[in-house]
Amino acid sequence: MTAMLPPLLLSLRVLLFAVPLLVLLGGGIGWLLARANFPGKGFVSLLVQLPLILPPSVMGFYLLFAIGRNPFLKSLGILFSFPALVLAATFSALPIMIQSARAAFASVDGELEDAARTLGKGEWTVFRTVTLPLARRTLLVGLALSAARALGDFGVSLMIAGNIPGRTQTLPLYIYNRVETLDFAGAHVASLLLVGTGFASLYLVRRLEEGRNERRAAC
Amino acid sequence: MLHAEFADSFGNFSLRVSLTLGMETGVLFGRSGSGKSMTLRTLAGLRTPSEGSVLLDERTLYSSAERINLPPRERNVGLLFQNLALFPHMTALDNVAYALPPGRKGREHAARWLARMRMEGFEDRLPARLSGGQRQRVALARALAAEPKLLLLDEPFSALDGPLRRSLRRELREIRAEAGIPILYVTHQIEDLCSLGDRVFVIRDGQTAESFPVERLWEKGARGEAWSALGWGNLFRGRITPCESDCACRFEGERVCLSLDGGAHSPGESLVFVAPDKIRILYPDIPVDPDLGGNVFSAVVEETAPLGGSIRLYLASENGVLWQAEHPSESYQTLRLRPGSKVRFAVPPAGIESWSGGPSPR
Repeated sequence: MTAMLPPLLLSLRVLLFAVPLLVLLGGGIGWLLARANFPGKGFVSLLVQLPLILPPSVMGFYLLFAIGRNPFLKSLGILFSFPALVLAATFSALPIMIQSARAAFASVDGELEDAARTLGKGEWTVFRTVTLPLARRTLLVGLALSAARALGDFGVSLMIAGNIPGRTQTLPLYIYNRVETLDFAGAHVASLLLVGTGFASLYLVRRLEEGRNERRAAC
Repeated sequence: MLHAEFADSFGNFSLRVSLTLGMETGVLFGRSGSGKSMTLRTLAGLRTPSEGSVLLDERTLYSSAERINLPPRERNVGLLFQNLALFPHMTALDNVAYALPPGRKGREHAARWLARMRMEGFEDRLPARLSGGQRQRVALARALAAEPKLLLLDEPFSALDGPLRRSLRRELREIRAEAGIPILYVTHQIEDLCSLGDRVFVIRDGQTAESFPVERLWEKGARGEAWSALGWGNLFRGRITPCESDCACRFEGERVCLSLDGGAHSPGESLVFVAPDKIRILYPDIPVDPDLGGNVFSAVVEETAPLGGSIRLYLASENGVLWQAEHPSESYQTLRLRPGSKVRFAVPPAGIESWSGGPSPR
């Protein structure tokens, strides 16, 4: 039981860093894809969805290659350490967050933002008071789903952070090790914990979506 | 005083607007797709035209020559959107207060605006829980609370039915009298134009074609010309000749010949105007009234457009003329007219106006 604690804490620590990154990167890219027009937008929107369907090993391999071959990135000592875990969790969960953020921002009627502008508000105020509150629920749904995905990342983490007990062994990697050593009881406990977390996040998502539909129905 | 002159294009649609509006209510009148909404968005600063200038009370809002383009928030131009654009996540009071500086004073001021629009007691309702008319009032209060120097209205009452429309029109007239700012109202409905406007700007295929005072629509002599500039009604050019039998006259145009009443028409080159509501659809099984003077035409219904209490019909007669007729909705239903159905209609001689033609009196 106590052996499970370090991987669990490590997983939570990864999440602590990955969630803000998901909000900023996923929210930002999602907003760009929903609102901005730039050349190559179609290609970018396909590209950011790629990690969803690629095998994690392929993602991990490319990341490994990109970081390992770049002298500057390599000198930062990211690989096979905690930052690599954050990177892996963020990258594997990013497509979900981008997709949700894009849908969330696209669902906000641009005319409402225009109305706010004609009422004398600047762009930041418009975003803060109109766009964000109206997109919030879908953004939270995306965040809950992508955080769960980040917590469960296995393949990408294995490729770029390794599976070093006490250093880069997160909960999913710990389960793998338990099974390898035929410690099924340990694997069960850890797995059950992740199932519980997944269930909780799906329940949260459903609650959020129900709330949104109720508000729609009231219209 | 608003003075706007600009050009813009969107795909293969080009817009060329020129309008000058004093402390009056201008009506931008045109069919849908003629560029009315685009014009309003440009005036509000939500769209940048390709060239031209927009001046409001000595203030330059936009000038391509001087490279000035004020963002919407600095223009002080209110815009009432067609679907109102109330913030769905804010209460009625919050919606109005949004236009005002934050704080207690702003909220008190907002509450006063709501009260003025007869919306006391609805302050805490979300827009979804307000009726159509109440939502209109909140949107109007919000637009006015910002104390705009120019108010633009994009068919804001199009979703409302008769009595509500009338009461909101009345309110808008009162507000105009109080606020003393130019108002530009976009519509494609004749009733709105007549009841609200001081001056009409006709916009056709993206061009402001002409402008004239609304009274012109009631002036004898210029009436038909004005109506036809709106694209409303049936105008023909031709010659009036007195008839030998009884004391009637006969109008002969290029494609249409009509019998006229005697006294009111003078012979010679003439313009003849028939208002759409004067055209009478004939029921198939009822004998034709002899008073109609033989002005009976067979036609095919090209298009029908409901306008609330009445329905607009476009009728293609055998001689190749497209007539506009307006017909009360109820009797329309009993006739069961559809695009493509055959119909007979009559032009009662008493409903025909004429005036001597020659160069048009614009």
